[in-house]
Amino acid sequence: MKRSPDMQRLEETLRSSKIAGGGFLGSDPRPLEEILDADAAELARLGHTQYELADRMRHISSRAEQGLGSWVAVDEIIEAAVTDTRGLMPCPWPHPGTFSKTVVTARNLRTGKTIQWSELNIHLIEMHGFFEGRGSAFRLEPAELADILF
Amino acid sequence: MADMFLSILIVSAIAAALAALLVVAQRYLANYGKCRIKINDSKTIEVEGGSPLLESLTQNKIFIPSACGGRGTCAYCKVKVLEGGGPVVPTEEPYLDAGERESGVRLSCQVKVRNDLRIEIPEELFSVREYICTCTRIRELTHDIREFRFELKEPAEITFVPGQYVQLFSPAYDDNEEVYRAYSIASDPAEKNIVDLVIRLVPGGICTTWCFEHLKEGAEARFNGPYGQFRLSDSDAPMIFVAGGSGMAPMKCMLHHMKNTGNKRKTTYFFGANLVNELFYRELMQEFEQSLGSFRFVPVVSRPGEGDPWDGETGLVTEALRRNIKDAAGCEGYLCGSPGMIDAAVKVLVELGVPENKIFYDKF
Repeated sequence: MKRSPDMQRLEETLRSSKIAGGGFLGSDPRPLEEILDADAAELARLGHTQYELADRMRHISSRAEQGLGSWVAVDEIIEAAVTDTRGLMPCPWPHPGTFSKTVVTARNLRTGKTIQWSELNIHLIEMHGFFEGRGSAFRLEPAELADILF
Repeated sequence: MADMFLSILIVSAIAAALAALLVVAQRYLANYGKCRIKINDSKTIEVEGGSPLLESLTQNKIFIPSACGGRGTCAYCKVKVLEGGGPVVPTEEPYLDAGERESGVRLSCQVKVRNDLRIEIPEELFSVREYICTCTRIRELTHDIREFRFELKEPAEITFVPGQYVQLFSPAYDDNEEVYRAYSIASDPAEKNIVDLVIRLVPGGICTTWCFEHLKEGAEARFNGPYGQFRLSDSDAPMIFVAGGSGMAPMKCMLHHMKNTGNKRKTTYFFGANLVNELFYRELMQEFEQSLGSFRFVPVVSRPGEGDPWDGETGLVTEALRRNIKDAAGCEGYLCGSPGMIDAAVKVLVELGVPENKIFYDKF
């Protein structure tokens, strides 16, 4: 498949570890387009959209932030807490935007399963349908994410 | 059919050969020679042409903040290029608004030095230096926060304003490339050959993982700085400090400075933690209470565990602030922590009467 220079450059940025430890693509050998397509197909199979997931994550983050580090009951399904760390993360896509390194930990009260995300994860899912590559520290498996959030 | 494939093959081969030729030509023939960069109309440096402006400045010990290692994604390295920068390139376009383009703002990592340039940078960046040092002490403060002490070797001393930060260099390790990351200085500014950094481990963080897992006592390290505008005002107004986690660092530094300079401003410091064992520097804060006279440290634990020896403030740090301060008109606020904590604290301080322009913060 022929790739545009912009796509080539984007994948180089995503594989680099200048912004995120180990790079946004982790050890995933698949080309970016394949990763995006596979996750989009998985989301469709699950019956969710990237916007739904991002909305839910943003709502949980917003409630968790009010706890200033303490666990907060978001609703009957989720409790969450934030861990604050110094610094900002730029979106690796070519547009302006930096995101705090605040990490949200969400726990499903029914199953006890937990999952973590950063502010940048929400943006990447919502705007770019990007859940990161396998082996990346902040890779979110769409099925696992949906299972815990809903 | 075979002819068509052969034609495609030949055209592709010619295109590939031309592309390779261009790369070779760029590498060996594009010689821009020596170029002069005039900075703020006061200082001129001579550099070898062909490199990005950011890199050329760094090689000449002029450090522009950058978080993405020159990949054109963080937009922290903006400078004004008044002459010689050429047109804005597509990789810069998303990061520059109309006003910035109008005034010549560029991403210094994306501007290639091909001829003489005239640029403008914030004056304070001239005092930024690179420091080679030795990590002489690593102290565990909580389960995920450590204090790293660096003794300076070259230059042997640093002068900074309490509240400022440095950019610590994390060398390449495992699959991670080298990066710089910002941390506030926590040490006593009077100890000019020492810089202490209070660092919280970030899950998956490049620099913090290097600090926690690879940096050892006795190892060489380097950072550049100082940077930042967070600092104490010159007024005599009573102060309210609010911080949490590694946000302790600049506050500690300011308190050392107040002690050194005999500053007796009335100061109340609210420090929030989740658990009792996440509080740190408590003895030092008690020493400050004794030596500064009008200083009060209010540690706040949001959820002390059962059996924890704790009879102090509980709940959110902002709730403790509201309980302890009834009228803050005439006070100044100094905050360091997460955006969420700062936004919440600003709201409470404003409600208590602190004008917004008297609230200073260092937002993570």
